[in-house]
Amino acid sequence: MKKFLRWSAIVIGCLVVVGFLAFLYFIPPLTMVPQTAFTQPLAQALDAPLKSIKDPAEKILAERGKMIVGHSACSDCHTPQGAQGPNYNEFLAGGGMKDEFKLYGSVVSRNLTPDKETGIGMRTDAEIMRVLRSGVSHDGRVMTPVYMPWFDFSNMTDEDRYAVVVYLRHLKPVWNKIPGYSPLSDFEKLSETAGDYAEHKSLH
Amino acid sequence: MRRWLIRVSFGIVGAAAVCLLFVWTGTLSPLNSSPNPDQSERSMSLGKAIYQSRCAICHGDDGKGEGRAAALLNPKPLDFTSGMYKIRTTESGSIPTDEDIARAITNGLHGSAMPDWGPFIHGDSLKAIITYIKLFSPRFKEEKPRIVHISSPVPSSESSIANGRRVYAKLQCASCHGTDGKGAGATATDLIDDWGNEITTANLTEPWTFKGGGTARDIYLRFRTGMNGTPMPSYIGSASEKEMWNLANYVVSLARKPVWAMNAEELKAFYAAADAEAKKNPVRRGKYLVESFCEGCHSGYSADGKVLPEFKLAGGLVFDLYPFGKFTSFNLTSDKETGLGNWTDAEIKRAITQGIQRDGSRLLPFPMPWTSIAQMPDDDVNAIIAYLRTVPPIRNKVPMPEKPNIFSYMWGKFEMLILKKDAPGYIYPMKDFRQMEHDAKSGTVGGQVSKEPQSTSANSLSSPLVAHNENPFGNEERGAQQ
Ligand code: HEC
Ligand code: HEC
Ligand code: HEC
Ligand code: HEC
Repeated sequence: MKKFLRWSAIVIGCLVVVGFLAFLYFIPPLTMVPQTAFTQPLAQALDAPLKSIKDPAEKILAERGKMIVGHSACSDCHTPQGAQGPNYNEFLAGGGMKDEFKLYGSVVSRNLTPDKETGIGMRTDAEIMRVLRSGVSHDGRVMTPVYMPWFDFSNMTDEDRYAVVVYLRHLKPVWNKIPGYSPLSDFEKLSETAGDYAEHKSLH
Repeated sequence: MRRWLIRVSFGIVGAAAVCLLFVWTGTLSPLNSSPNPDQSERSMSLGKAIYQSRCAICHGDDGKGEGRAAALLNPKPLDFTSGMYKIRTTESGSIPTDEDIARAITNGLHGSAMPDWGPFIHGDSLKAIITYIKLFSPRFKEEKPRIVHISSPVPSSESSIANGRRVYAKLQCASCHGTDGKGAGATATDLIDDWGNEITTANLTEPWTFKGGGTARDIYLRFRTGMNGTPMPSYIGSASEKEMWNLANYVVSLARKPVWAMNAEELKAFYAAADAEAKKNPVRRGKYLVESFCEGCHSGYSADGKVLPEFKLAGGLVFDLYPFGKFTSFNLTSDKETGLGNWTDAEIKRAITQGIQRDGSRLLPFPMPWTSIAQMPDDDVNAIIAYLRTVPPIRNKVPMPEKPNIFSYMWGKFEMLILKKDAPGYIYPMKDFRQMEHDAKSGTVGGQVSKEPQSTSANSLSSPLVAHNENPFGNEERGAQQ
């Protein structure tokens, strides 16, 4: 009897483990959720800043800017990611995209909210438009285009880029300090040319 | 014991010798290379350093205008080896003066990606970079700039503008710029520049997009000197100096208000007109949207991260998302087998706004940003589809997404679902383009790209995904699913 109990406990235990592993393997975590679970929160986050704009001309420009920011997926990179996906309470506050594997140096997407200390509150309109037109950041560095895809945004008209800036200026300011860019160290460069650095990093 | 001591002391002496050698060569080399740094040599290395870090990404290491980002830019970066500059105060065909180049670098070229470097490059650096880029073309050694004589300007007035309008008709500017300056009624469309790239005429009602500036003097200089390498000709001799200034005043008078100077009513009317125009010409609107948004992800890259012009919109960029696997962007050209040629409009629309693939399965919400495209007005989505239909076919078979090896896949999912670790951000190109080159060298990559003529760099484009046969999704190609 005791033997039987022990054996059944072992079998059940094994089944549970295998079942759990199978569950882990087969559950497609994000493709079971209805599409609106992704699109609706994004739409709400995009709309929120428009409500408080008083100036009618500014409002029309910001609406145009919202349209462009919305479809250009700025939020996919610039909104911080939490366990449940993007954290829209800190819409466009930066950090949503990091180059953890340091292929071109340490790149982190930056804070686009108008916070005076950590966001674009410290940038002029011309500086932001220069980023979007030519990928040249406020200190004159040319950004790597696969991270901040300025080579796409460069094909927009100046007027559309201006509308984007007007919209960004009306976001809710969020204090979120983003570490600055740092280039690859010589060691990283060396091991990378050997071709094994990225591979090694990818294994965590 | 004694033998031991001897060995150790030999070791120490040897190590010290090696260290000394390093130190010695280290201190020696700067002395060797420039015992008394020559002014021009220092300026050369400064110019080179600035060029490599600031200009090469667009203008290319060799100055041919084929930098890593160049293929997606419109207009393309200047080919310095040609010596043909657009913004000059010199005769048509002549090389520019140093001041002309300095002005272009300081102010940038509006309406193109060329930024205004004024805040970052000035003084000695500016001189150094000008000297450096002039070296790309032998013309600067052989020729002298032929500077134009600028006659005294005619101040703008009603009569001057009225006269200018007649000159505009007489010189047939309308054949390229249209009767209204916006391009309406232009007979010469499909213009190309000397490098074979398509070029759009300037919209004369938007002076803030003029590359050389929007004042009467700038405009006078542009059609007085022409823009080398473009269809914009020089009109010297076809009109008197006075007529040319009148024409410049006329062009200035064509300017409309930019959106940043408009009030609410004007903005409403402006955007309503823009939307109506977009509806009338959806392909043009679609081109604008695709170029300003989809191209960077949906193009092919060489091993060193350069966008390949022959794989523009043909897909091939690999996104590595731990733990979901590797996703290769799809071929958006109208190729029947490997691209969107056989997809219906409804299928494309469903894929890009709801993330439902052709076979009915779902896309993840990233990297393909269908959640964002879902925010687009319906007209814009239709415009994108209308444009994609017109993109000439390029054959480029894109591999199916690939899951990572089962252990990191399971562990990653466990982290995400149970340990509630942050969901992955956006792009994690663990295997970046350079890594792909590594694979290509070790011969693990199958030649997947098949487009005539095949370029050498194209081979390294085919992604490393193809090589792994333990792909849990099977190894069929995307385009093959009918
Ligand atoms: C693919 C990811 C990605 C997308 C999409 C993206 N960005 Fe970025 N962005 C970045 C990264 C990464 C950086 C930091 C780059 C660096 O420092 O080299 C950045 C930097 C910036 C900066 C510079 C901020 C500063 O402090 O100087 C601005 C402005 C910006 N992005 C605006 C935008 C806008 C507007 C959009 C949408 C139209 C957008 N970005 C879309 C990744 C992205
Ligand atoms: C973001 C891409 C980009 C970067 C970075 C860039 N350029 Fe350019 N540049 C362009 C483009 C695009 C053009 C061509 C514009 C056109 O033909 O309408 C151009 C044109 C020029 C011209 C030609 C002006 C003329 O009269 O035709 C000069 C000179 C020039 N660039 C110098 C530089 C220098 C020097 C640097 C680096 C300090 C630099 N560029 C960096 C994109 C870039
Ligand atoms: C053969 C076609 C053609 C004709 C004729 C023509 N243009 Fe142009 N024009 C162009 C093209 C193409 C450009 C754009 C060049 C560029 O962006 O590199 C241009 C650009 C311009 C610009 C903008 C310059 C700048 O700084 O960017 C002005 C102003 C201009 N044209 C005025 C005129 C006037 C005035 C006439 C008649 C005297 C005229 N054009 C005749 C093709 C033409
Ligand atoms: C951030 C990069 C990115 C951007 C921007 C992007 N795509 Fe994609 N796209 C991808 C990737 C990666 C895939 C492959 C997805 C997969 O296999 O799961 C893809 C797949 C597709 C597909 C095929 C979907 C399917 O059923 O397999 C279409 C169609 C498409 N994209 C159209 C577009 C259009 C149109 C745009 C611009 C409006 C665009 N994409 C912008 C990355 C991008």
